[in-house]
Amino acid sequence: MSAQKIGVFTCHCGGNISDYVDVQKVCDAAAGTEGCALAKTFLFACSDSSQEEMMEAIRTHQLDGVVIASCSPKLHLETFRVMAHRAGLNPHMYTQVNIREQCSWAHRHDMPKASEKAVRLVRAGIARASLSRPLENIRVETLPAVLVIGAGPAGMRAALALSDLGLTVYVVERAAEVGGRIRALGKLFPSGRPGREIVARLRDQIAGRDNIVVYTNAELVEKSGSAGRFAVKVRAGQETISLKVGAIIAATGFAPYAPQPEEFGFGLPAVVTLPEFNELLTTSRECLRVNGRDVRTIAYVYCVGSRQSEGNQYCSRYCCTAAVHAAIQAHEIDPELNQFHLYRDMRAYGRNELIYEEARQKGSLFLRYDGGEPPTVEREGDGLLVRVRDELSGGDSIEIPADLVVLVTGMVATSNQRLLDVLKLPLSAGGFFNEIHPKLRPVETVIDGVFIAGAAQAPKNLAESVASSMAAAANCSAMLLKGHLDRAPLVAKVSAETCVWCGECVKVCPYAGAIVEVERDGKQVADVVPELCKGCGACAAVCPSAAIELEGYTNAQVTAMIDALAAEVVS
Amino acid sequence: MTRVSPELAARMKKAEGFDANACFHCGTCTALCPLGYKILPRKLFHDAMLGLEDRVRANIPQIFSCLLCRMCEANCPSGVHITDNIRSLRSLINRQVFGLK
Ligand SMILES: Cc1cc2nc3c(=O)[nH]c(=O)nc-3n(C[C@H](O)[C@H](O)[C@H](O)COP(=O)(O)OP(=O)(O)OC[C@H]3O[C@@H](n4cnc5c(N)ncnc54)[C@H](O)[C@@H]3O)c2cc1C
Ligand code: SF4
Ligand code: SF4
Repeated sequence: MSAQKIGVFTCHCGGNISDYVDVQKVCDAAAGTEGCALAKTFLFACSDSSQEEMMEAIRTHQLDGVVIASCSPKLHLETFRVMAHRAGLNPHMYTQVNIREQCSWAHRHDMPKASEKAVRLVRAGIARASLSRPLENIRVETLPAVLVIGAGPAGMRAALALSDLGLTVYVVERAAEVGGRIRALGKLFPSGRPGREIVARLRDQIAGRDNIVVYTNAELVEKSGSAGRFAVKVRAGQETISLKVGAIIAATGFAPYAPQPEEFGFGLPAVVTLPEFNELLTTSRECLRVNGRDVRTIAYVYCVGSRQSEGNQYCSRYCCTAAVHAAIQAHEIDPELNQFHLYRDMRAYGRNELIYEEARQKGSLFLRYDGGEPPTVEREGDGLLVRVRDELSGGDSIEIPADLVVLVTGMVATSNQRLLDVLKLPLSAGGFFNEIHPKLRPVETVIDGVFIAGAAQAPKNLAESVASSMAAAANCSAMLLKGHLDRAPLVAKVSAETCVWCGECVKVCPYAGAIVEVERDGKQVADVVPELCKGCGACAAVCPSAAIELEGYTNAQVTAMIDALAAEVVS
Repeated sequence: MTRVSPELAARMKKAEGFDANACFHCGTCTALCPLGYKILPRKLFHDAMLGLEDRVRANIPQIFSCLLCRMCEANCPSGVHITDNIRSLRSLINRQVFGLK
């Protein structure tokens, strides 16, 4: 069944289109095109009243296809598909033609040509609509289980939230113990609770759930299937375990920056990184001792491994606050300490400002250096000598004799090649996992059903890591609790009659497992797994026997569209 | 090149009446000083707190010429008690440099 009575509605977009495209001319051309039963113009096709009018027209004229010439389908394809559906049409009998971004906005200097192009595009739209077939969504029954990769605070917290919602959770941790980077850490900002305690609490809570299974010394080694129904293999020790899950959360965290030899004196005795200093604070009482010497003066160098002109250009976010917080603890251990902080910009943002303030009140002193002229650290006698050009003293060079230098090291992405090979997640410039949209879709990835959480995505402190893991858990459950997923039916389809199983299609398909070999009527042919196909059309384009077609963009439709585009426009 | 004296830095932390931690280097005080001393009081406090002894010594004349007019203090957005700090510094210098008790 194809469309015989098509309604064509052309939109002014309140001048956005009609200022540069002759909308009436487009409407008249549509009216004169074969298959068009009704042509109208609208000031704003997307407005409620226009949609009501179009639905009314669909019913009274018994239209079986609709073309709307308006803005980009990115904006309103779904709006108008829903409108068609409400008027009783199959949503796939609707075709959108973009005469705003592709005509009026692109060709402001030439209204006649812009209008001519609009006419051609609309004719092509009508050609497509006249060969459209009603299509039904592909329904995928989802599995009520989630795989969480990484048992740091983000992964553990996500597991608990998912368990609360009634989903089964499998947690895969590469290390021998759960807890991630905070497992070994002492007091953490803002509350001062030790990392060890936070981890112990989360571990106990997880142990009390019978719908959470934790695998340690374990890694994900294989993944197949698609959103809602993944089959994964986990290697835990010598064992390989097969699991079925509906969604995956990657919460693999970060690694602390490891300074290069000699970078800010790294390698000299008494030059330590922030994690090492945290350890020293945890084990010290009344006085700090390093290499058998009492520490009287500490110099902190900020932004080590972050905000580099080349390399890690990002700010690691947590370190300014972690450093001033550490200085307060050092002061509590030994109030006589002299503490000098060599910073670039103090980014103890939000409420962390109060921690910075407290450090100043407790006698920490701050000197500001320019990133282009970093401080130097060298040995002097038994101790260390730090040289810095202090912008707060008018750019003078200042020498600080110190007993301990703390390099305020930032966060880097963990090396995780094996996982990347399995999940195929894209990375950001810094090597962290990339989200789809930093503001609007912050925990979703381009791989449907795979979410990211915590510091694996970008440097984050604990509160931020946990917040993003809660968001990922909410996204998973929004997807899985309904029990099914509906996917657009615009997928490839093989004609078993024409197929000669040459295998060309498999070579070009970017989605593993989407094309399989099957036996039909005694011969081997290709078949498409609709849940895995994304409808890119690569296979349809290369098939030498023209045995593959893409639903919604069949060969007949595309040929008819090309003919319509090429037909003469009489002005 | 000037060198931090951890001893002076430690002494400044305890100096009675001296507290410039709230200063965030906006420069209001420097701009308002009727004597037009570039060094007073914001940089001076920073130098004193860091324990930059040479620089404090080099500025003794300025420290003692301050009018204590409180023009800066009245306008300091961070509420630093600038004139108290000057007094505290003077008393410290009297003891350390001039040997006065
Ligand atoms: C010295 C220091 C001090 C800090 N202090 C504070 C503080 O005071 N307050 C604060 O809010 N934040 C602080 N932070 C930041 C805090 O550590 C992080 O925000 C937090 O650890 C991020 O949690 P996460 O779960 O995302 O990652 P992580 O803690 O890094 O955990 C990730 C987990 O994933 C596992 N993993 C990685 N790859 C795989 C894989 N392929 N398969 C399976 N498992 C894998 C890792 O083994 C790890 O257990 C500090 C960080 C440092 C370095
Ligand atoms: S948080 Fe502070 S120390 Fe860390 S990179 Fe950013 S500015 Fe530098
Ligand atoms: S006015 Fe106050 S806050 Fe501003 S620089 Fe002077 S002392 Fe510091």
